[in-house]
Amino acid sequence: MGFNGTSPLLDQRGELRPEDFGAIRELSMNPIGDRIISAFFSPGKETVDFASFVRILAHFHPTETSRSRDGVQPEPANSRTRKLKFAFQLYDQDRDGKISREELLQVLRTMLEMQVTEEQLQSIAERAIQEADLDQDDAISFDEFRKSLEKVDIDHKMSIRFLS
Amino acid sequence: MAELRLARRSSFLPLTGLMCVLLLVFVSVASASRDVVSENNETWRGPAGETRGDSHNQTNSTAHKKAFPVLSFNYEHVRKPFEISLWILLALLMKLGFHIIPGVQNIVPESCLLIGVGLLVGGIIKAIGEEAPVLDTKLFFLYLLPPIILDAGYFLPIRPFTENMGTILVFAVVGTLWNTFFIGGMIYGVCRIEGGQLASVDPLSCLLFGTIVSAVDPVAVLAVFEEIHINELLHILVFGESLLNDAVTVVLYHLFEEFTHAGTVTVVDAILGVVCFFVVSLGGILVGAIYGILGAFTSRFTSHTRVIEPLFVFLYSYMAYLSAEVFHLSGIMSLIACGVVMRPYVEANVSHKSYTTIKYFLKMWSSVSETLIFIFLGVSTVAGPHAWNWTFVIVTVVLCLVSRVLGVIGLTYIINKFRIVKLTKKDQFIVAYGGLRGAIAFSLGFLLTNSEMKNMFLTAIITVIFFTVIVQGMTIRPLVDLLAVKKKKESKRSINEEIHTQFLDHLLTGIEDICGHYGHHHWKDKLNRFNKAYVKKWLIAGERSTEPQLISFYNKMEMKQAMMLVESGSTAQLPTIVSSVSMQNIKPRGPARQRAIPSISKSREQEIRKILRANLQKTRQRLRSYSRHDLMIDPFEDNVSEVRFRRQRVEMERRMSHYLTVPANRQETPPVRKVCFESEHKVYTYDDSKSPRGWTAEPDPSPPDAVSLLNESSQRANQSSEHRAKHNDELRAKVPDEKEEQDQLKLSRCLSDPGPNKEEDLS
Repeated sequence: MGFNGTSPLLDQRGELRPEDFGAIRELSMNPIGDRIISAFFSPGKETVDFASFVRILAHFHPTETSRSRDGVQPEPANSRTRKLKFAFQLYDQDRDGKISREELLQVLRTMLEMQVTEEQLQSIAERAIQEADLDQDDAISFDEFRKSLEKVDIDHKMSIRFLS
Repeated sequence: MAELRLARRSSFLPLTGLMCVLLLVFVSVASASRDVVSENNETWRGPAGETRGDSHNQTNSTAHKKAFPVLSFNYEHVRKPFEISLWILLALLMKLGFHIIPGVQNIVPESCLLIGVGLLVGGIIKAIGEEAPVLDTKLFFLYLLPPIILDAGYFLPIRPFTENMGTILVFAVVGTLWNTFFIGGMIYGVCRIEGGQLASVDPLSCLLFGTIVSAVDPVAVLAVFEEIHINELLHILVFGESLLNDAVTVVLYHLFEEFTHAGTVTVVDAILGVVCFFVVSLGGILVGAIYGILGAFTSRFTSHTRVIEPLFVFLYSYMAYLSAEVFHLSGIMSLIACGVVMRPYVEANVSHKSYTTIKYFLKMWSSVSETLIFIFLGVSTVAGPHAWNWTFVIVTVVLCLVSRVLGVIGLTYIINKFRIVKLTKKDQFIVAYGGLRGAIAFSLGFLLTNSEMKNMFLTAIITVIFFTVIVQGMTIRPLVDLLAVKKKKESKRSINEEIHTQFLDHLLTGIEDICGHYGHHHWKDKLNRFNKAYVKKWLIAGERSTEPQLISFYNKMEMKQAMMLVESGSTAQLPTIVSSVSMQNIKPRGPARQRAIPSISKSREQEIRKILRANLQKTRQRLRSYSRHDLMIDPFEDNVSEVRFRRQRVEMERRMSHYLTVPANRQETPPVRKVCFESEHKVYTYDDSKSPRGWTAEPDPSPPDAVSLLNESSQRANQSSEHRAKHNDELRAKVPDEKEEQDQLKLSRCLSDPGPNKEEDLS
């Protein structure tokens, strides 16, 4: 369903607003739906045009491992780092480059919804930061984030097939 | 001293093995010297011997009155169980021997050695002139195969399996079909050309033969792949294929069997065959799923009868297998489905001791089965009637290899168009090379009724099996090293990975929803929601039904940490309070801490211990290894309560002093890794770890925080002794309060911060 139904809107105005995203039913059930929506909009802007929309989606293009990295080309949008950066920004709402304990707690709260007590959340967040935080600044920077995910196959996980 | 013992042991074992063999031979001789007993023909090819001198086998019934026999010999009475036990004992001793003798298992995979032993024993038995027991089809399919498959299915890694499901299915179904028709067709062509003895082979028999010999065998794959530790993707590809091609094999086998009897093939029959395939596979899965749900549901009520919990798992699974076999559905798929469906719910319901029992029993039975299968394969080779035909055998072996390679390459080309992570040439090679044939092929061949071709077919099948298991099995390890194929990464899942993986799952689901694309994540999310909303309520007992996955994962990690503590450290090491699991670079300081350990009175200890032991029944551990031989360290031994107790003791003290003395600087707060069981007691834990991370970070100049910590801790240590006595009394008083409180604490495994306000009461 997605945006097929709203493509007339797109043609008319040429841009999307948060309400259009909100119209997608499944997205509203998604715990981090609102974060995803806000990720499409650059900070401060209320609308997103088609080009930006596609640019965001390009992050989820399957990685082509065969492409040679000669360093001259700008890093492609769907490289592993860029994918991780996108995910990182979803955590890091205030864009300070670090996931603070509060931000982590917020994410955990939305993901686990009503099922756990506050203390449990605190413990988990505490532990997560303990594990990942290498420079002891009580927050997870992008590098630490990347490091903690080094064993996960991000290329596979963060790719949507049909976009290829 | 140790070497002496080792040498003695390693010479001891072959001796024992030899004794076992001799005993077996004696038994066979003794059994040959009596009349045929009908019941023995079922599982063992009873010797059709004539009566020889059997003086020592007579029961005590003679015409004349004798004196009352003080000691009599009645072997017949226990013959069958005795023989069975002896065989199993022999198998296990051999297995033991291989692992003790150093160096052997690096070169030769265990399966080859076992086949060798089987050949040896078969040879000895034959030399004596007796008939050896053969790998009877019924014995194989009903008793030896199910434990292995159940073990594989129960511990199947679900995530990689479902992620690669498409690939696995294509390999299993299309690959097996291709193999069958290619081998069958080419063999027929060769027979036609060759003429002579082979001229009488008809196409349907050839196709039947192709079916039997083309199926990749799960037992052999498991046996070999387990030892080479390749990466998860390849393992699951080959292994999944070997499991799922059972449906294809069953259908084709029965199809061709029917056709050979019927004589003619029509189009309708062919279409019915296709339909039959779907019925067999989906029916098998359905049967398995039903039994799985039944098993899960039953386990919900077993909280009062913990000792029989494992039995439910085994019996329901076995029933699933047998029920599927009744209808000629795919028993293997049924078993796999049952294990997969049952597992998450059963694990949530059973006590951890039952969980351990299930795990160990499955591994044990599958180990024994596998050993027996390979030994019997060797014995049957020696015993069975053979009709050696050079052309046929050689052509078969070559064709198997060729068709496998072609099949894999062709299919991968098609599959790669749909895969996100493509299969490289190396992957393709391993998949092709890992297509081992095994005992299933042998047993199916044994079932053949057409006796003229049967011997020839059987010989060829055995040759193929030997070739794949021995040659390919032995060479795959050096090849894997040579090609530098990615090995399995032994990684500890961190809480970060878990959190982020879930987060990414949600993210991808959201993106898919935006795009309107109903992909992998979408359906998985839907399944999870359905599971959470409806299924869990029915199948999981009590409050665990609402426990999110993250929490159970977290608890598991806590326990694991506790175990690491007890395994690695002594009490003196415990008070390294502030180090975290793996990434702590503050050096644990031993001596300063020792003062921090309080001594709690004996009765208190007992109480704590009792509480801990009672509540430890409820925690879980999720097994992630599907290897046969190296189980992950199971931490739930009896000393877990010791650990808890020790940790808690120290933590308690530390927290006491912390709240009293330390200003609210977050950095110094010890990691809040507390696990509180249902007990009223605040069980604190903290982490200590000997992970390399912690140690290598030692040389770093400690950040200033660490320095202050040092000071703080010694300060704390001093403080602690003061407040120790106070704390003990306080604790005693607290227990009744917390009893009520605990009811409000929702889950049995709540990770609750004990609440600073309580501590502050003390001050």
